[in-house]
Amino acid sequence: MNENPTYGLVVAGVGGQGAVTIAQLILGAAWMDGDHVLQSEVHGMSQRGGEVSAHIVFSKDPVMSPTIEQGDADFLLGLEPLETLRHLIYLKKDAHFITSITTIKNMENYPASENILSLLKSIDGVKMIDSDQIAKEIHFSHGANMTLLGYASNYLPVNGEVWDKVIRERFASKGEKIVDKNLLAFNTGKKLINNENFVYQ
Amino acid sequence: MKTSKLLLGDEALALAACDAGVKAFYGYPGTPSTEIFEAGEKYIKLLNDGRVAEWAANEKVAYEFALGTSYTGYRSVVTMKHVGLNVAFDAFINSAITGIQGGLIVAVADDPGMHSSQNEQDTRYLADFANLPLLEPSTPQEVYDFTIKAFALSEKLKLPVVVRLVTRLAHSRGEVSILKTSLKPESIGIPPISKKFSWVLVPSIARVRYKELRRKMPSLYEEAKKFNSLQSFPSAKVGVITSGMGSAYFYQYKKNNNISDEKYNHLNVKAYPLDMDLLHTLVKISDTIYVFEENYPYLEDMLIPYCNSKCVVRGRRDQTVPVDGELNISLIRQALENRQLDGKVDGNLFTKISSLIEIRPPKLCEGCGHRDTYQAITTALKNIGIDDPRIFGDIGCYSLGVQPPYFGIHTLVDMGASLSMAFGAALAGMTPSIGIIGDSTFFHSGMPTLLSAANLKLNINFIIMDNAIVGMTGQQAPVATDVAPLIAKAAGFRDEQIHLFTPLPQKTEENVKQLEQIFQRDEPSLIIFKRKCIIAMQRKLYPLEKKEALHE
Repeated sequence: MNENPTYGLVVAGVGGQGAVTIAQLILGAAWMDGDHVLQSEVHGMSQRGGEVSAHIVFSKDPVMSPTIEQGDADFLLGLEPLETLRHLIYLKKDAHFITSITTIKNMENYPASENILSLLKSIDGVKMIDSDQIAKEIHFSHGANMTLLGYASNYLPVNGEVWDKVIRERFASKGEKIVDKNLLAFNTGKKLINNENFVYQ
Repeated sequence: MKTSKLLLGDEALALAACDAGVKAFYGYPGTPSTEIFEAGEKYIKLLNDGRVAEWAANEKVAYEFALGTSYTGYRSVVTMKHVGLNVAFDAFINSAITGIQGGLIVAVADDPGMHSSQNEQDTRYLADFANLPLLEPSTPQEVYDFTIKAFALSEKLKLPVVVRLVTRLAHSRGEVSILKTSLKPESIGIPPISKKFSWVLVPSIARVRYKELRRKMPSLYEEAKKFNSLQSFPSAKVGVITSGMGSAYFYQYKKNNNISDEKYNHLNVKAYPLDMDLLHTLVKISDTIYVFEENYPYLEDMLIPYCNSKCVVRGRRDQTVPVDGELNISLIRQALENRQLDGKVDGNLFTKISSLIEIRPPKLCEGCGHRDTYQAITTALKNIGIDDPRIFGDIGCYSLGVQPPYFGIHTLVDMGASLSMAFGAALAGMTPSIGIIGDSTFFHSGMPTLLSAANLKLNINFIIMDNAIVGMTGQQAPVATDVAPLIAKAAGFRDEQIHLFTPLPQKTEENVKQLEQIFQRDEPSLIIFKRKCIIAMQRKLYPLEKKEALHE
């Protein structure tokens, strides 16, 4: 067995949704936790409402590939159900994944939502989270992604104490209020692990 | 002393250049190279010690800006995407013959897999053709280290040095250990009196200079050799050649699967031109050699004649790796083991997923004026009886108008080709002939066609979609705004041939009516649809900041 395994994580979403920001927070957290890190981002044309994904790779050993092999990712964080489905191909057999259940239908032929959600529900390792509803309840309409990240943090091999600092640093330039809202969304998501009201599986 | 940061490959190049005392960044925006310049601009602002960053109208001009700065003895970086080097190629080739004074780095970002490009050409061939050295890093850390070395190398060889990135490196963020101090830009002086005329490439001097370039080749091989390495093992009968991202993927493949280094003789190529000795040794000790490079079979084609019947070459030529597209770890595993990983998605689930998912193409933003422009043009054409219009398109956000519901462009070839193809089609009898171009692309290489057209008696229509910004690459300031009508007038267009429209939904009906008239006139028309970029407005980017130091 590999002494210092490489951990691979995929964040998937729709252009403009904030997938790259979420990925950068995870990257920052793993780095602050003392790992070697690398991340592949999508810039340019796809950001105009197309499919956007980021791969994050970290290990106690040096890492060189910024992308993950299909079938080798340890975790998938899907910000939109169709994009979750599209990127499942990267996951290891026994990997967990979490997904938002709010669809973004900015395309022709978007499949029936119920078909996507019922297929997702049938797959081992899924946690489906009504992150938009949670964001509403905490009065932070842009908080859905941070809620998902908070929930995901329970699964990631990153010391739980680093998140607070990473989130503060990332949003510091936007003022204390925004920092607090993001921390609230993150912590609300994190605690969902003990409160399955918003988690469907 | 060192410290470390999380940086994109692009940012690592810019920061290294600053730390190596660069005086100037020049470039033309193009994914995935844009962030090199943007990061450079940011660092320059922080350093505040007399450095400059200046976008040019196109890559050729940017290259010549850099060459001029080099002439004064300062270090410079010029950035562009792979197809941008085609535009700069004249300057690029000839700068190998003039040679340089202050160190000059040509930072070119290739786009294997065509994430945001019209082709996936490989810059290594262009550097080879120009007889110039090229460095090919594999990680953001190597981008930083190689860039620092590239300046010294450039000044030692008196040649521009190409640093080749690819999308997965340019846009990969990783830890980079950086120098704690930044050298201040210092000039090594203009070329000395003894070299006063050696930059004048009239034939008599060019012949001498070209001979000199050829005489430098052994030192180029010598310098590249210092970057490249061959790891060989007596037990290994299989050889692997990697370069760039191929090296990164091969390392990770071995690491993730606990594969011992000793299984393969490994030639790791990081600099060009490649010394044949290393290839020769590898061929002697290996029965089979795999080549993993991004992305044309450049090294592979060098290897094949060396192998003859002595060993088998596996790579893109024999389809061990697909001849097109990006490399990845799966393809390396497929090549070496002929199998894929068994992941969560098995055959059954794959079928279910495939039957559900649809592609989600990028599209014009909600509220973007280009939508209203396409709406007006296609409606006007329909109203005058053209149901299957053919419109010459160009490169920018508005390329997305190819999609439904507009189907608004029917060609996209290279920067500026819309107007010149419309011109050629008009001369051959197409009427109306229509070319659509953005304002920045117009300045890049649309202008010359406009200058040729004024006095023709042909129904040719140059449409500029003017949002006063370089939208697609992230809202950079264009080199000029609002000057197209003045240029047209100076070139001989009359006022009646120049039309200004506002692309807004409530104006579409009126715009359509006018376009119907214009599209039926047997004279050239310049039609400008002018409205600011919606994203830039939301981000409050207007008025675009110009660099005070340069433009006061």
